[in-house]
Amino acid sequence: MTSVADSDPFVRNKARDAEGLPPSNRLSAGEWAKKNLLNNWYNSLITVVVACGMAFAVVRTLGWLFSSDFLIIRRNLAVFMVGQFPRDELWRTWASGYLLMGAFGVGSGVLWRSAQADAEEKGLPTEPHSWPDLLRRFWAIIAVLVFFVSFARTAPPFVGLASAFAVFWISRESGRRFSAAARARGLFFAGLLGLLSLLVLAGSGGLVALTVGGLVGAWTLSEVRRYVDDYVVGRGAASPEVLGQPQRDQRWRLPDLFKRPAWATWASRAAAVVVGAGVWFGLRAIDWGGYGWEDWGGLHLTLFVTVIGISAGLPVGILLALGRQSDLPVIKGASVIFIEFVRGVPLISLLLFSWFMLPLLFPIDLDIPGKLTRAMIVITAFSAAYIAEIVRGGLQSVPRGQVEAAQASGMSAGRIQRLIVLPQALRAVIPAMVGQFISLFKDTSLLAIIGLLDFLRASAVANAQTEFLGQGLVTVTYPFVALGYWAFAYTMSKESRRVEERLGVGVR
Amino acid sequence: MLGRLLLLVIALVLAAAVFLVGRYAIDKATRRDTSDRPPPWRDLNVLSLAAQVVALGLIVTVGAWLWSNFRDRTDAIGLELTFDFLDQPSGISIADNPLSSDAGIRDALQQGVKNTFLIILLGIPLSVLFGTLIGIARLSTNWLLRKLATAYVEFFRNIPPLLVIVFLWGAVFLNFPIGASPTAEAAWRPLGGWFIFSNSRFAFPSIIGLDNFGLYQLLIAASVVASVGVWVWRTRVFNNTGVPHRRALWSLATLVVLGAAFFFALGGPFEFSKTTVEDRVWSGGFRMQMPYAAVMSALVIYTASHISEIVRGSILAVHRGQVEASHALALNGLQRYRFVVLPQAFRIAFPPLINQFLNYTKNSSLAVAIGFAELTSITNNLFGNSQPAPQLTLILMAVYLFFSLVLSAMGNLVNRRLQLKGA
Repeated sequence: MTSVADSDPFVRNKARDAEGLPPSNRLSAGEWAKKNLLNNWYNSLITVVVACGMAFAVVRTLGWLFSSDFLIIRRNLAVFMVGQFPRDELWRTWASGYLLMGAFGVGSGVLWRSAQADAEEKGLPTEPHSWPDLLRRFWAIIAVLVFFVSFARTAPPFVGLASAFAVFWISRESGRRFSAAARARGLFFAGLLGLLSLLVLAGSGGLVALTVGGLVGAWTLSEVRRYVDDYVVGRGAASPEVLGQPQRDQRWRLPDLFKRPAWATWASRAAAVVVGAGVWFGLRAIDWGGYGWEDWGGLHLTLFVTVIGISAGLPVGILLALGRQSDLPVIKGASVIFIEFVRGVPLISLLLFSWFMLPLLFPIDLDIPGKLTRAMIVITAFSAAYIAEIVRGGLQSVPRGQVEAAQASGMSAGRIQRLIVLPQALRAVIPAMVGQFISLFKDTSLLAIIGLLDFLRASAVANAQTEFLGQGLVTVTYPFVALGYWAFAYTMSKESRRVEERLGVGVR
Repeated sequence: MLGRLLLLVIALVLAAAVFLVGRYAIDKATRRDTSDRPPPWRDLNVLSLAAQVVALGLIVTVGAWLWSNFRDRTDAIGLELTFDFLDQPSGISIADNPLSSDAGIRDALQQGVKNTFLIILLGIPLSVLFGTLIGIARLSTNWLLRKLATAYVEFFRNIPPLLVIVFLWGAVFLNFPIGASPTAEAAWRPLGGWFIFSNSRFAFPSIIGLDNFGLYQLLIAASVVASVGVWVWRTRVFNNTGVPHRRALWSLATLVVLGAAFFFALGGPFEFSKTTVEDRVWSGGFRMQMPYAAVMSALVIYTASHISEIVRGSILAVHRGQVEASHALALNGLQRYRFVVLPQAFRIAFPPLINQFLNYTKNSSLAVAIGFAELTSITNNLFGNSQPAPQLTLILMAVYLFFSLVLSAMGNLVNRRLQLKGA
């Protein structure tokens, strides 16, 4: 019996599809091997040689894996993670870790939410966040954790990591509750959590309390201003909705349409100063205990120095890049000399400088800061010089017309840089900046050379214990450290490639 | 002195400001035409000058402050800021080097510079070679090779170079058979002992000149010239007649035949020297220190992973039409790479390669971690012997800066020759 579908060429027919369509692209295993492994004589030869080599390597690796004793890692987990941090105060590192996870969680949740809103506004496809997707993105870290838990055979760190991840996940979900408009508020909150983690760890001495006070003060300022703008200035006049201003961007909402009364400006500033100073003194009044960074070590120290190096180097680097682009010979010359000098010498020589020379440059009646503090000064200068070159690339990528248009609309030079050039330049260099972050992360291993107990030197410390001395256990500890470095750096570089694709840098 | 200088600068700036503003006020008051001259606080010339004066003042002030701190501290510990210490005995002995610890610091530093140079000299060509091979392997049609190369690159790009060095040193090279025993019997000696691999040295055969060796070297040089001539002749034949040139074969054969003929004619002008170990004393042959081998191979492994990415990118950047055209001309895979793809890819790859060479040079300082006696390591030892830190730091940085500048200048020179004219 024939139906209409058999004769009608425009109706899909499975039987005809099977005959008429081109053959499927799927290859059988044999065909695939023939095409990809054995397509000519020298490729066949290469396949055989490489396969033999890999078989040998796999056998040797498995032999190493099952014959080695991972006791040295189990015993020294704390050394690898936090160095010589006082052992009866380890709760501080855990608490600080949880707070940090919370900070990351809230931050990434908020960023996810605003990226989502951004994508919806532009009609771009939103990013799926499925489990397989996350697994694919973070397989390196997960694989290293699984490897380490199954061979080091210790439960407590696993429980700790699982609970830290739970904290991360919960705060991420709560971060997503922040509306995209409240993004700044959410990020402030994440920053506060991060500083709190520092407070628990290091106490309120030095800069930590000051930074917390400053952050709370800035938060107060923005909240009071928002309140004033919404309920004092905006009342009676046309509300922003009526004017069709999108509410999520606070910057353009009011300044030119309404004048904030002077008393309100000063009142908000006064409130910010009072609250900020109150928090500062309050924190200093409490005895938090804790240990400053000179006592830190291990992976914790490595990550901390990297983060400080990048975040302190960024503003300096931006200034240097602007200085290098400047028309003023003195400023340009000074920037060029600094950048080229720092980039021309190895980091070790700078670290040796910080070790032996920097103490001589402090005023004679001042106590010389610790070795790590001096190393961090040098590392900040080092990363600033490299960041400056990256930012310079970004500055050069901003079309000249942007600056000219801004000049034509009468903006001042400072505003042009702040509102027009830098946002575009910095957006273009995000992937390169992640690359710099990875490279600094690897470079912090040089701290081991000047005798600081970082992730790499923890291995030497473990091997110097009487229990493990002279047994050649570096064959166990170095691969462990290498996998740790690799998992972090590899995941970050993959993520940066993802960001690069999303931003479409280099495509346009 | 610092305060007085600062006061002087402030006074000068104030005077200039008063002058400019005063002139403007007088102009205004006397209703002179000021349309061609904006007020000083809006005059770009004035503003830029002011900014530079302030910047310069800031730099000079900070510099002078640091210098006075420095002088206070050095005076307090009685540190001489001269270079006389260079003639004192260094107090460090360098392995496999006749320099004793009585030799001057100057000699030790020179030895360090020489060793740094040796790491660079051998390592850079090796890493380019290795990196290029891996970059090509990443684009191979062979799935297994491609994946292996990718795994190599993704692994070594993402771990610190220092870790590669200490791992190769501590976990691989030190696990070689023991070579410091009196007879070094345990060491691995392939090919009848002409090569020795042990955990203290690698040894290779070397050449020792006998009678007529100078003459033989001259004759070999002449043979090289002759083989180049053969190369040119075969190329010309090929260009004129299309007969396969086989120039590599021809010129190599010329060199070998001539070399052998002269060797026998002069009655054996040289012999191979074998390394021997007696009572822990190594003699003869070419001996490579373990730390040197470790540092160099680790840096080559690390740098090659970066270079291979550059090579891969540049090969992909060669225009597709070029590859298709070479297919149309029926060039095989090797010819396609040799004559079409690689020459063009190399031109694209060269500028980022210079960067990698600079990185390699700077990374050579990591040898300090395993104590190979290159510049940083020797300087570090001298610090340990409480030699003056400021001068040594200055020398250390100046040498590396010099290396960097020379390398990048040479690179830029080559690059200018490489790039297409007018492109």
